[in-house]
Amino acid sequence: MNESLIKLENLSIGYNGQPVLSGLTLSISRASFTAILGANGSGKSTLLKTLLGLLPPVAGRIDTASVGAPLTFGYVPQSNQFDPVYLLTGFDVALMGVYGRVCSGRLIPPVERAFTRECLHAVGADDFSHKRFAELSGGQKQRVLIARALTTRPDVLVLDEPTAGVDREATTAVLEFISQICKERKITVLLVTHDFSAVRHYAEKVIWLHEGKVFHGATDELLTAERMAEILEIGMG
Amino acid sequence: MEILQQILSFDFLLRNSLYTSVLVGFACPLVGVFLVMRRLVFMGVALPQVSSTGVAIALSLPLWLGFKLTEYGPHSAHALAFVGSITFSLTAILVLAFLERRGRGQPEGRLGTAYVVAAALSILLLSKNPYGEIGWLDMLKGEVIAISNFDLVLTAAALTLVLAALGLFHKELLLVSFDREMAIILRKKVVFWDILLYLLIGLTVSMAVLSVGPLIAFGFLLIPALIAHQYARNMRQFTFQASLIGGATAFFGFWIAYRWDLPVGPTDVVLLGALYATGWLVARLLRGNLRHAHKT
Repeated sequence: MNESLIKLENLSIGYNGQPVLSGLTLSISRASFTAILGANGSGKSTLLKTLLGLLPPVAGRIDTASVGAPLTFGYVPQSNQFDPVYLLTGFDVALMGVYGRVCSGRLIPPVERAFTRECLHAVGADDFSHKRFAELSGGQKQRVLIARALTTRPDVLVLDEPTAGVDREATTAVLEFISQICKERKITVLLVTHDFSAVRHYAEKVIWLHEGKVFHGATDELLTAERMAEILEIGMG
Repeated sequence: MEILQQILSFDFLLRNSLYTSVLVGFACPLVGVFLVMRRLVFMGVALPQVSSTGVAIALSLPLWLGFKLTEYGPHSAHALAFVGSITFSLTAILVLAFLERRGRGQPEGRLGTAYVVAAALSILLLSKNPYGEIGWLDMLKGEVIAISNFDLVLTAAALTLVLAALGLFHKELLLVSFDREMAIILRKKVVFWDILLYLLIGLTVSMAVLSVGPLIAFGFLLIPALIAHQYARNMRQFTFQASLIGGATAFFGFWIAYRWDLPVGPTDVVLLGALYATGWLVARLLRGNLRHAHKT
């Protein structure tokens, strides 16, 4: 459980060589649920993109405990970032997750299509997977994107604000499901959010980015009223 | 019906023009679908014009360098025009796409300027060129008349290549267009797939411009895809419907042009425009009816 899967060593992250956050040294355990918290502009998405290999680190290193093949990331981006001009169904979007295993120029084998249907079923998206992705509600899109991440057969499930624009009830359902998946499939979960209260009950670890500083630790220790007030520099009376 | 029988007959004098128009009609929308999805509609307007400038410059080279093209065989003018067209198309698409990706400046302004300057330059160059007088100016106006067997075979071969590449690599091209980040995470070579798509667009545009001129090339690149987008429910329908609309319009446009002695290019494009307007109206009516049905 405590085996380290990803280790950040003195990592600096940012854009065009300009660091947004520096000196990140921490580790993420295998099959753990870690929330990356912080206000808008705190560097959450930059950290996520650096971990996913979408941005190069400004300095430092990221080590992974994978043997042989590199880690597979199942990425769940924000659902409102997709252009509605694409006439893709929920199934088409979810199916993209298997593209990494199918060689260029080859048809997608029936077994991968069946696996995609399985993942859509697992997230409760079978009823609307035949509908246009652009016409789905925020919560339905999130489910399809989670199914797509699962079809990659990920070692790490990375979610960027999965509860943004989703009502409280749907948020609870999404987080509950992610937490359950993490336990059942032994997948490591990294979830970016600015909603402290939503993840409090699900995340085991928290990485909190605040005004250029990084705080990390167990949720029970870091998200106590006293500790939060200390980090936010709010007087407790 | 007599006219229809005539143009479908094997001895029809303008059969190469008909076959080429229909080929272009079927093939152009296949890459046009990607231009619409990537929101590069303006590029679809500018590219055929830039490509035709490439033709004009290539055909002006013998004049500027002082040699006669006729000494180099019957297909030398066409070969030179092809080199000019493809060089300009590919250079333009790669430069414009690069600038678009950097996201600086005004892309519409750049594309609009490229379009008008290219259009003016093509006409200027060809009006002072002896090869311009023997058909290239007609081609720029969309007169699909003088198409040799060589032109037809070349067009068919190039468009088959485009069709095969689009069919084989559809999932990769779709993925990098729809979700670039996901493609990188899945370790797809996104730059390679982008360049391949641009090459296919450039090749299609070049072949279409050489065979039927920039007017029809533009018309068939975008309008069938825009019509199909209103009705299609998924990507497969979108692609097939766009291609089918393009091919059918090319055929019926040719029929109408031949029947009433009109230039083929403008007839095709006006027909596509009329289809687009009708399609838009019908789509609105259908949506209105559906909404009404839901309320009641």
